[in-house]
Amino acid sequence: MPNSPQTGDEPPPEQSLFADYRYDPRFYDEMFEAQAAPREHCRDLWNVLDGMAPEEIAAMQERAERSFLQEGITFAVYGEEGAQERIIPIDVLPRIVDAATWDFIERGLRQRIRALNLFLADIYGRGRILSDGVIPVDMILGCPQYRIEMRGVSVPRGIYVALCGTDLVRTNDGFMVLEDNLRVPSGVSYMLANRGAMRAALNKLFRQYRVRAIEHYGNLLRQTLSELAPRAIADPCIVLLTPGVHNSAYYEHMFLAREMGVELVQGRDLLVHDGFVYMRTISGLRKVDVIYRRVDDDFLDPLAFRPDSQLGVPGLFYAYRLGNVVIANAPGTGVADDKSVYAFVPDIIRYYLSEEPLLANVDTHLCRNPDGLEYTLDNLENLVVKMVGESGGYGMLVGPASTPAERDAYAREILKDPANFISQPVLDLSCAPCLTEKGASPRHVDLRPFVLTGRETRLVPGAFCRVALVEGSLVVNSSQGGGGKDLWVLPE
Amino acid sequence: MLSRNAQGLYWISRYLERAGHGCRLVQIQYRALQDRTVQELDRTWLRLYLSLGREPLGGRLGSNRDDDDFMFADAYTLTDDLAFEPNNADSIRNCIAAARENARQVRNVIGNEMWTSLNLLYLGMRNLAVQDIWADRAGSFFVNTQDSIRGFFGIADNSMYRDNGWHFLQLGRFVERAQHMTALLDAQLEVFPTDTRHVERDWRSLLQIAFARVAYSRMKSLDFQPGAVIDFLVSDRLLSHSIRYSLEHISDSLDVVSERRPLAVGARRRAGRVAASLDYDWPNRDPRDDAATRATLGSIRDACRRLNEDIDASYFNYDIEDTPR
Repeated sequence: MPNSPQTGDEPPPEQSLFADYRYDPRFYDEMFEAQAAPREHCRDLWNVLDGMAPEEIAAMQERAERSFLQEGITFAVYGEEGAQERIIPIDVLPRIVDAATWDFIERGLRQRIRALNLFLADIYGRGRILSDGVIPVDMILGCPQYRIEMRGVSVPRGIYVALCGTDLVRTNDGFMVLEDNLRVPSGVSYMLANRGAMRAALNKLFRQYRVRAIEHYGNLLRQTLSELAPRAIADPCIVLLTPGVHNSAYYEHMFLAREMGVELVQGRDLLVHDGFVYMRTISGLRKVDVIYRRVDDDFLDPLAFRPDSQLGVPGLFYAYRLGNVVIANAPGTGVADDKSVYAFVPDIIRYYLSEEPLLANVDTHLCRNPDGLEYTLDNLENLVVKMVGESGGYGMLVGPASTPAERDAYAREILKDPANFISQPVLDLSCAPCLTEKGASPRHVDLRPFVLTGRETRLVPGAFCRVALVEGSLVVNSSQGGGGKDLWVLPE
Repeated sequence: MLSRNAQGLYWISRYLERAGHGCRLVQIQYRALQDRTVQELDRTWLRLYLSLGREPLGGRLGSNRDDDDFMFADAYTLTDDLAFEPNNADSIRNCIAAARENARQVRNVIGNEMWTSLNLLYLGMRNLAVQDIWADRAGSFFVNTQDSIRGFFGIADNSMYRDNGWHFLQLGRFVERAQHMTALLDAQLEVFPTDTRHVERDWRSLLQIAFARVAYSRMKSLDFQPGAVIDFLVSDRLLSHSIRYSLEHISDSLDVVSERRPLAVGARRRAGRVAASLDYDWPNRDPRDDAATRATLGSIRDACRRLNEDIDASYFNYDIEDTPR
């Protein structure tokens, strides 16, 4: 077998899963440290997968996909006709993170979310960070996500962001935060669904690795929300507010409501009376204490925000201001995950915590600054340019993948409103093996752990690991055709 | 329980019951297709369509021709109309799709197993057309669909917590069933009046539609007398498709869901009144007087419709002003 890799172990059978796998030193590989040399903690996984017949693996993949379709684990992509109810592609080769790495990630995330909550309390309160000149005032007050209505509102425990889903990427230089996602982050149900499918598919290996459990996420979420309840209510009534079945993440809303054992409500199920929020039940109205909302700020309350919203509850914000109901996340958190504010998060951490940030930021150029604008325009073909208020991979330019005409058009857009754009270098996102028609091939991945903050900060040892399924692509967003895979965090 | 969830459960079972009933009608009609004359078939098709309150595509039923080929072609069209016609709101596929859509809305209150069985049922027929099921052994589509629907209710039976949600599922099912049975009996008397010479098979097939043929033979007689058959289907306490049985289940479920709901006595009273009329008025009727029987059936059916409105107004879309907090 002249082409088979030499590893010292038993030579893998011909046509084995990793026979054609090309290790690429430009990118950190999550599984291999060199061609055909798996990392220590991935060796058992590699052995098992490489020993499986291609049909076995294909069957495993097919079973996982079928279970997703049957359970209705689907999402919708906007702007695509007939695209309702596509399953989110799952890749059956798990990604493994060792204990030390996870510990580092966890500490970094706790630090970051603590600082961000202090930041939000500050900018909606006295604004010390602004008067101290750490962050430009106009950047905050001019940000469309800044909700002037939130000024002076007392937020329980000062927790604006009870849930976030931070996007992390790994390069040869280590982990970096790509985005904070502090509004209504989604993906946690896919994390749990991927886990369900993979535990069934690779049961023996799963036990052998003693993969750390993530299934108690629902409990933690409920506990977190209970801790935020207005006044000390022993058994607060918690609901999850969804825009409805046509929302791309409806499956997740349903899933979380069930995991937590709370009602899944739509705007029309709720009403505000005498400053309290009630839901319509078959035995009359019932008071609601905590709303885990999956509806954007704009649509929460037609009386306070967008008047044409059909998804919200008239008067909800009034009840919230009175402190009679808690909305998680609080309205107005979007200002802290604005892409230009993002550039200041390391400063925010230093300012409030007097600590050095553990997790690095991606080098970001703000086009609002003349230097940043000039640099961005001069280097468009090497940069990723994003609009500050967008998310989900919409409205961005990936320089190296663009044509000169696209770059010209984009540059004109930038010049129209420079403050609306930032640019970042193209990151060498790490790769992990994914199942393709040609066996395992490297694909770029990131990960999104979910951080909960109530009386304390909690997270389960796991994440939604997103995969760019197209060879060479760096865009992992589900809305742009990305998929997911299970992430195994190992015990110490 | 959230009103919208109760409403969702109620409509899941209404739509599934409707689809199941539609399948049963076609299945029994197919049995007749095997060995009956065209004129006889015409009448049973007519019974079927009248009971659904529907005009077949292209207008009137009835061929008046002794041409078997024509009839088969016709059955093909009618099957398509009943199973897949997009403009027929009550076609089997539309009912299954509507049930599933309701289930999607309330997925957090039904188990994964219930959802999966309904989802698979829908996915299985999403892209079917009449030629796909016609090529198969005739009728197997309708038999299999009924099996799947019964599977759904079986899972519900074995997995659901018996709280209000369960009772709304029951309510939807039996409100729908009671309406079907009154409509079917009314259509039967329209097409096969009791004072004309009756063909036993037309009455036997009626019992078959209600899963009552064997029970009738065992409990009543082997003589399928119209009056006795109608009476059995209306008032038997133990027959799961009798009107009496449905009304009793409706009353039982209303008792539970209205326990803490003083405003909701209207629906409960109405159900009780109809059930009582079966006890006290029904036995006194003249079984040969079709007009009187049909009038009684009509009033039961009307009451069932009102019952639906009562339930809606008491539990789903009530006025906030009247509501205890």
